[in-house]
Amino acid sequence: MTRKEYLIKQKDEKGRKLFGIFPAQYPREILWAMNVVPVEIWDPPLKVSHANAHVQPYICSVVKLGLELILQGKCDDLDGFLFPHTCDSIQNLASIVYNYLGLEKPCYFFYHPKAPYRDSSRLYYLEQLKVLVSRMEKQLGPLDLSVLKQCIERGQQVASVLRDLYGLRARGELKASNSEFYQVIRQGEYFHPDDFLPLLEEFLAASKGQADSGPSVILSGILPNPMGILTFLDNLGIRVAYDDFMIGSRRLLIPPSDLPDPFEQLTESYFRMPPCTTRASPIAQRRDYLFNMIDDATGVKGVIFYMVKFCEPEWFDIPNLVDELKTREIPALVLEIELNQEFSGQVATRLEAFMEMIGI
Amino acid sequence: MAFWLHPKYYKTIQYYFMKDLGAPALFWINQKQKKRRTRRHSPYLGPPLQCARRLREIMTRHYYLARFAKSAKPVAWVTSGAPVELLHVFNFYTIYPENHGAICGSRRMGPELCNQAEREGYSQDLCSYARIDLGHLFSGKTPAGKLPKPDVLFCSNNICQTVLYWFKELSYYWHIPLILFDTPYNFLGIHEKDIQYMCSQFQEMIPELERISGHGFSLSRFQEIIGIARETSLTWGRVLETMKHSPAPMTIFEAFVHIAPIVSLRGLPVCLDYYRILLKELEERVEKGIAAIKNERRRLMWDNIAIWFKLRDWAELFAERGYNFVAATYTNAWAETIHHLNERHPFESMAKAYSLVILNNNLNHRLKLMEKIIQEYKIDGLVIHSDRSCKPYSIGQYGLKRLLTERLGIKSVLIESDMTDFRVYSEDQARINLEAFFEALEN
Repeated sequence: MTRKEYLIKQKDEKGRKLFGIFPAQYPREILWAMNVVPVEIWDPPLKVSHANAHVQPYICSVVKLGLELILQGKCDDLDGFLFPHTCDSIQNLASIVYNYLGLEKPCYFFYHPKAPYRDSSRLYYLEQLKVLVSRMEKQLGPLDLSVLKQCIERGQQVASVLRDLYGLRARGELKASNSEFYQVIRQGEYFHPDDFLPLLEEFLAASKGQADSGPSVILSGILPNPMGILTFLDNLGIRVAYDDFMIGSRRLLIPPSDLPDPFEQLTESYFRMPPCTTRASPIAQRRDYLFNMIDDATGVKGVIFYMVKFCEPEWFDIPNLVDELKTREIPALVLEIELNQEFSGQVATRLEAFMEMIGI
Repeated sequence: MAFWLHPKYYKTIQYYFMKDLGAPALFWINQKQKKRRTRRHSPYLGPPLQCARRLREIMTRHYYLARFAKSAKPVAWVTSGAPVELLHVFNFYTIYPENHGAICGSRRMGPELCNQAEREGYSQDLCSYARIDLGHLFSGKTPAGKLPKPDVLFCSNNICQTVLYWFKELSYYWHIPLILFDTPYNFLGIHEKDIQYMCSQFQEMIPELERISGHGFSLSRFQEIIGIARETSLTWGRVLETMKHSPAPMTIFEAFVHIAPIVSLRGLPVCLDYYRILLKELEERVEKGIAAIKNERRRLMWDNIAIWFKLRDWAELFAERGYNFVAATYTNAWAETIHHLNERHPFESMAKAYSLVILNNNLNHRLKLMEKIIQEYKIDGLVIHSDRSCKPYSIGQYGLKRLLTERLGIKSVLIESDMTDFRVYSEDQARINLEAFFEALEN
């Protein structure tokens, strides 16, 4: 079933609303509880044309593709949009969509506090969750707190299976290829948890087992697009032992919380999430997160930063992270990519040279 | 027994000696010794502002004293939109890397310093102010002599998130604290909860600033500084308003330079005094009919940060045709919201003043603001600088251009460039676009 078919089914058969969600951090449990399927918009498979009339050439392809999706009228089935305050580019994209395009769809905005955090950050985040709920209630009706609790529990179950999958993969105990792994993981970007959880469990059961004994690498960046990198690594027998992707471990491995109040539960989990540039996490935290991955996974020979061109939050941290890896004698490769482009020969050559350098 | 002074006191004595005696004396000697350069003055421009000399003196003194500030005073590096009034309570010496970036840009040092940062692995696509600053960090090169290493970094993301990523780098490099004033973006208005959040942050950062500076917080001193900052902002606003007169007594290219004190010295008496002098001079020019350009035929508006390396060239290029820039969203930014400051509610008013700035506001706000300025200043044409370095200022400009043309029928041109890195600027392309714009203005 295609993404579109799945979403139409959600709408027609399950009576759920569909919201287009721009990257990156948002309280998906609240949307589930309000009978909304969050449909994340990261890298729709489109060629950018209309968006060029709205944004400059030096804007990242995540923003351009998201805008292109709207301008091509491919969001007609959606019932609203949510724009988290991720970076300057998505902030202004939100304003273009809301202020200039004249869409007749509700737009919601979600500001999450930036680090370094203080006590006020936690309080404000909690308040922001409630503000978002009160705005959405006008369109969707009242939120049932008991349903929210169930959805948080569901989210924790999903995160728990994902943690198992990541753990197995890190230890080389998951047979699935890199491509298969990310194809499954990324279905969570639009699947309802009631469907995603069994899918993950099935995948876990089917894939458990010793992976090919070979070297491994860690991938960092926004997302594995172009997918060519994954097949390239598969063909070389190199396992992606762990990732520091924004669509991956940074967002998916939500720490559990057992606080009684659901809003406090969401807040606690959020502030214990892995470090991320979109929350302005300090570089030391990102460094330690990478080092922990390397220590926990088996056979890690290097780190590949798979970087979307013009993504400011990510690019600022790179020189220091690469230097820190050098101090631990861990080779690092920085690749600059544009989404949906073909996996170029140049990228392949640089990867080959890197593999050679790390003795693979 | 020998009498020893703690080294800190030597530094303090040295700083105040240089501040009150050394710097003014050196500046005086320098002026006397300096051979009068016969800088070519464009025949299309009016007489230069007398205040320019005083401005140079203030800014040179500020950067000159910076080299004596370390250990004599706590030093903070600050972003241009941060609520610096709070720092002045703790006697911080403040350095603005963005202002330093603009100075490097106008001296055409942008690419050289950016290159230094790029060699260390920073992408050429990052903000050029940040790259200049990092390039200075790695090379020590600066036209300002020497910048003191900060004790703290004070940042607000009300102008962009980039400053936060950039200051995070500095914090990591020097192992010094980064204090953030986090301003929720104004998508649908700034509400009571947002104000409370910002006020709580002030309360949380005060003990930290006390610890770093060694000075206690004084509410009365804070209120006094708030009062000076508000008055300065209002005076700056009146300075800009003199350009409503036709012909205008100043060009926006001059305003881009005269903005330096309100960016770097806001809240200090020297800054307020300076703008009072400037305002007086401009009012006199209006009274005497002294115009900034000889034959003002068209009145223009600028959007975005200045192209620092083209200021002089463009001042002449436009003046030659009788076109004068009389307004800019950029210069207006320091006059637009700081008047909200109120001594009776210092924290709440500061939260409001700093979170409502143009770049923390949605594009609809910018559209309305530009419409208002266009009407009030009787603008004939708009030059939009699409600044590769500044995403929050630039994303949305295509729509702004289109909507302003539709609503007001205003002629406009969009120039792709960067504020300091002229490697991404094409003179030929800019000239082609400008010629078409000039033609449209004449028709």
